[in-house]
Amino acid sequence: MNQNTILSVDGLRTHFYTEQGVVRAVDDISFDVRQGEIVGIVGESGAGKSVATTSILRLIEEPGEIVAGEITYQDTTIVGFDERSDGTLVPKDEMLTNRQMRSQVRGNEIAIIFQDPMESLNPVYTVGNQLQEFIELNRDLSGSAAKKEGIDVLREVGIPEPEARFGDYPHEFSGGMRQRVLIAMALACRPNLIIADEPTTALDVTVEGQILNLVSDLQEEYGTSFIWVTHDMGVVAEICDRVNVMYLGKIVEQGPVDEIFYDTKHPYTKALLESVPRPDRTVDELNPIVGTMPSAIDPPRGCRFHTRCPDAREACREVDPQFVDVSETPDTEHRTACIKYDDVGYWDSVPLEHASEQDTSYIDEDQRPENRDLEQTEGEP
Amino acid sequence: MATTEGQLDGKDGGGEPQIGWRHTFQQVKGDPTARFGLYVIAIATSIAVFSAVDANLSRATMGVYPDYTIGEWLPVLENPERMPPPTEMEPYQPPVFAEGGSWANPLGTDQAGRDYLSRIIYGARVSMAVGFFATFLGLTGGVLIGAVAGYYGGRIDDVLMRFVEIIYSIPALVLVIVFTVFVSGGNPDVIYAVLGVGIATIPVFSRIIRSRVLSVREMDYIEAARAAGVKDRNIIRRHVIPNSFAPVLVYATLQIGFAILIVAGLSFLGYGAQPPTPDWGQMLNHAHGQMHVNPWMSIWPGVAILITIMGFNLFGDGLQDALDPRIDN
Amino acid sequence: MTLLRYTISRFVQAIPVLIGISFITFVMVNALPGDPVAIMLEGQEVDRETIEAVERRYGLDRPFHERFVTYMLGLVQGDLGYSFHRDMPVSQLMWIRLGPTLMLVFSAFVFALVTAVPLGVLAAKRRNEPTDHVSRLVALVGVSTPSFWIGIMLILIFAVWLGWLPSGRLVYPWRDPAHYGFDGRLELYYQTIRHLLLPMVALGTLQMATIMRIERSSMVESLQEDYVQLARAYGVPERTILRKHAFRAAQLPIITIVGLNLSTALGGAVLIETVFEINGMGRLLIQSIQQLDYQVVMGVTIVLATIFVIGVIITDISYAYVDPRVSYGDRE
Repeated sequence: MNQNTILSVDGLRTHFYTEQGVVRAVDDISFDVRQGEIVGIVGESGAGKSVATTSILRLIEEPGEIVAGEITYQDTTIVGFDERSDGTLVPKDEMLTNRQMRSQVRGNEIAIIFQDPMESLNPVYTVGNQLQEFIELNRDLSGSAAKKEGIDVLREVGIPEPEARFGDYPHEFSGGMRQRVLIAMALACRPNLIIADEPTTALDVTVEGQILNLVSDLQEEYGTSFIWVTHDMGVVAEICDRVNVMYLGKIVEQGPVDEIFYDTKHPYTKALLESVPRPDRTVDELNPIVGTMPSAIDPPRGCRFHTRCPDAREACREVDPQFVDVSETPDTEHRTACIKYDDVGYWDSVPLEHASEQDTSYIDEDQRPENRDLEQTEGEP
Repeated sequence: MATTEGQLDGKDGGGEPQIGWRHTFQQVKGDPTARFGLYVIAIATSIAVFSAVDANLSRATMGVYPDYTIGEWLPVLENPERMPPPTEMEPYQPPVFAEGGSWANPLGTDQAGRDYLSRIIYGARVSMAVGFFATFLGLTGGVLIGAVAGYYGGRIDDVLMRFVEIIYSIPALVLVIVFTVFVSGGNPDVIYAVLGVGIATIPVFSRIIRSRVLSVREMDYIEAARAAGVKDRNIIRRHVIPNSFAPVLVYATLQIGFAILIVAGLSFLGYGAQPPTPDWGQMLNHAHGQMHVNPWMSIWPGVAILITIMGFNLFGDGLQDALDPRIDN
Repeated sequence: MTLLRYTISRFVQAIPVLIGISFITFVMVNALPGDPVAIMLEGQEVDRETIEAVERRYGLDRPFHERFVTYMLGLVQGDLGYSFHRDMPVSQLMWIRLGPTLMLVFSAFVFALVTAVPLGVLAAKRRNEPTDHVSRLVALVGVSTPSFWIGIMLILIFAVWLGWLPSGRLVYPWRDPAHYGFDGRLELYYQTIRHLLLPMVALGTLQMATIMRIERSSMVESLQEDYVQLARAYGVPERTILRKHAFRAAQLPIITIVGLNLSTALGGAVLIETVFEINGMGRLLIQSIQQLDYQVVMGVTIVLATIFVIGVIITDISYAYVDPRVSYGDRE
C-alpha cells in the first residue's frame, strides 16, 4: 500500500436480498485512493458503481448489506470483519459505530455529490438553509459564521450574487447552478475526500464542461481527493488520475488513466472506449457494446463479460479470471481481470460462436424473469 | 369484461408498460391481505346472491317459523301439508352468551322477534347490491364524462368538469339524502339510494379517466389512429378507455366500500332500505333507540358493515399495489 | 402573482361552482312531486283559497325559472328563504346552527391530525416492523368503519357502561356559563371538552385513518428521496432527518387531503349530530327533511357545499404558501 493512501477498499461485497434472489451488486472489489488524486470508477449503469460508493459511507439500506470486505479510511476502519471459527463473519471491534460514522466521517471527512442535482436539494427549504445546516454540523462554525462561510463557498463555485441566492429555493436555480450548490456543500464541509456520483450526467454538455473545469480548479486549490463515478470515458480522460473499470459488480481493469487509454488490456474497457467518439483517434464508425448487461442476480459463470465479449473463448465460460498485474514498469500498477493475460489456456481455447450476441444458453430461458420482461417490451411497437 | 380483458392483454400498447391481468392476478394471489379481502368479498357476495332462495328469508324478514334451520326446512317444502303453524316470537331476546339467551337465536331477536343473526346475514343483500350497482352506475357515468371531457378538451371539457366539480362539492351523504327523499317524492327506497350514490360517485371516476385520457391521447398510436380516419368515438372506446382501466378498477373496488358506507348512513337516518327488508343501517337505526335497554343490538350490524367494507378496502389496496409499477417488491 | 391576488382569483373562480350548486340543489328539492304547501299543511283544516294565498305569498305559483331567479337574487343578498315550519328566516337559522357543526368538524380534524401525523411518521420510520403493521391495521379498520356506529359504540362504552362522559349534546364555549348553570369560564371550557370528546373521535376516526395512510406512504417516499440521502451522507442525525428533511415536503399531500376530506367530514357530521343529538346543520337537515321544510333543506345543502368549496380554497392557498415551487398563476 502506498503511504499516501487515504482510503482503501479491499474485497468489498455488497449484496441486496430481494424476493427474486440475491443481487450481488458489488462482488469483491478492491481499489484505493491517494491524497490529492481523482480516482475514476467507470462502467455502464447497473455495474454497481453507486453501490460501491454508498458502501464507503455505509449508507446501504435494506434490503442491501455489506457482507464482506474491508474499508479503511486513514487509520479508521469503516468496514471490517473478523472470521469466527465457524466461518461466519462478524464486524470487527474497531469498526466505527453508526454514531461515529455520522459524526466523524460523513460530511467532515468524506462528502458526496449525487447524480441528480434536481432531486438532491430539498424543495421546501432554501438553499442557504441546507448549506448552513451542513456547515454547522461538520465544522466548528455556527450561526452567522456558518452563513458567511456558506456565501463564500457559493461565490467560490461561481454562483453570482451569492448573498441574494443564499435565501432562494432550489427550484429557482438551473440544473447547472444546483450542481454548483451541491459542490459548494461538499467543499464547505472541508472534507478530505469527495465522492462525486455521476455529478454531470444530468447536465448539458456545455454545463458539464464548466463543472469539470471548476472541479479541476478547486481540486488544485484545496488538494481534496475525489472518487469520480461516471459512465463517460471522456470525463475520465479529462479529470481522472487513475481509473477503475467496473462490470457487473467487479472491477475488470484498473490503472493510471494513460495506461487505460493507450495500453487498454481488458476487452470491456476496449469496448467502452470504442463506443464513444474520441478526439485523439479517428475511427470509421463507433462500435457500441452489443447486448445488455446480464442480471447481477444470476451473473454468468466464468468471466462475467463473456456473454458480450468479442474475444470470448470456451475457456472464458469456465475460468473466473483473476486480477493480474500487466504493468510495463514496476510503478504503474496496471491490473486487469482477463484470462488472456493469465496462463489458464485462453489461447488454446475455441472462440465462442455467438460473436457478440447475448448468450443466455447457460441458463434455462424460463427461469429468468428479466428475460421474460425483455421479450414483452421488445415486442411492443 | 371479456372484451376489455382481451384488449388489455393485447398489444395495442399504452402510455406506460402494459401490465397483464395474469400478472396482476399473481400479485394479488401472492399478497395475503389482498387474498383475505377477496375471500370476504366472495363470502359476502355469495351470501347476498344465494340467500334469495333460502327459506330463512322469512325468518329474517317476517319472522315466521324462526325455529327452522335450512336442513329442517327442505323436507317441509316438499310436503307443504306438513307446514307447521307459525311460532309465537319473543321480541328483544338477548344473544346466546347473555343471560336468558339461547342457541335458537344466537344473536337474539329484534323488535318483532325476528332472528337477529338471519337479519344480519340477509342484510348483506342490500349492502352488496347497492355497493355494486351504485358503483357500476357511477363508473359508467364517470367513464363516459371523463373520456369525452378529456378527449375533446376545450369548451366541452370545461362544461363537463365544472359539472363534476359541482357534484363533488356537495357532501356525498347530503347529496344522496336530498336526492333520495325529494326525487322519490317523499317515499325513499333503495333504488333511489342506488341512483343517488351512483351520481355522487361520478366525480371520482370522471377525474381519473380524464387525467388518463389526457396523457393517453398524446400517444403516437392515437395520432396514428386518427390519421388513419378512425372515428373519435371508436378511438375513445377501443383505445382510450381500455388503457385507462387499471386505476379505475382499483377505485371501483374501493368505491364499493364507500358506497356501502354511504348507504348504511342513509339507512341509519331512515332513508335507505325500508322495513321489513333487512338492512344493516336500518337495524342500527332501531338499535340506536334501544341503546340503553338492549345495547347488544347495536354491535352486530356495525361489525357486519366493518368486515364487508374492510374486505373491499383490502382487496382494493392489494390491487393497487399489484398495478402500481412504482412498488417493485 | 401575489398570494392576495391568487386568493381573489380563486374565489372568483368559485362563483360559477356556487351558482351550479344552488341550481342543482334547487332542481332536486323542487323535483318533489305534488304541492309543497299542501304537503306542508297536511292534516290541518285548510281550503283551496288558503293554499293559494300561501303559494302567492311565497311565489310558489310562478314558473320554475322565475322562482329560481328570485331565489338566486335573494341568495346573493344573503336571503336563503323562509322556514315555514320554524317561522323564521333560513339565514338566521343557519347562523345558529353553523357554530356547532364547525366546532365539531374542526375538532375532528384537529384530533385526526394530532394522532395521524405522528403515527404515520412512526409507521414510515419503522416500515414493515410490528409498529407499522399495527398502525396500518388501525388505519384499515378506521377507513372501513361507519362513523355513526363508532359514535354508538363510544356512547355505549363511555357513557352507558362506564359513565365517564356525557352521551350527547354539546356545550358551547361562546355561551354564558350561567346558561348551563356552570360557575365560571373554566368549568364551561372543561365541559365543552368533555361533551365534544366522543363526537369528535367518532367523526375524526375516518379522517385519522385516511391521513395516517397518506402520511405513511408520503413519508416512506420522502425518506427515499435523494435530498434525504444527501442529508444522511452529511452526517445529519436520523431524528433531524425525520423531523426536518423528510417531514416538511411529505406534508404537502396531507394539506390537499384535508381539504378534499372536508366533504366526507361534513357528510359525517349529519350522522354524528343525529347520534349525539347535536343541534347543528346536519341535524337541522334531517329534521327539515322530515318536515319537508324545503327552503331549509336547500339552505343547508348550499351552505354545506359552500363550506366545502371555501375549505378547498383555503387548503389550496396554504399549499401555495407552504410549497415554494407553486407559482400562483399556474394552478387552477
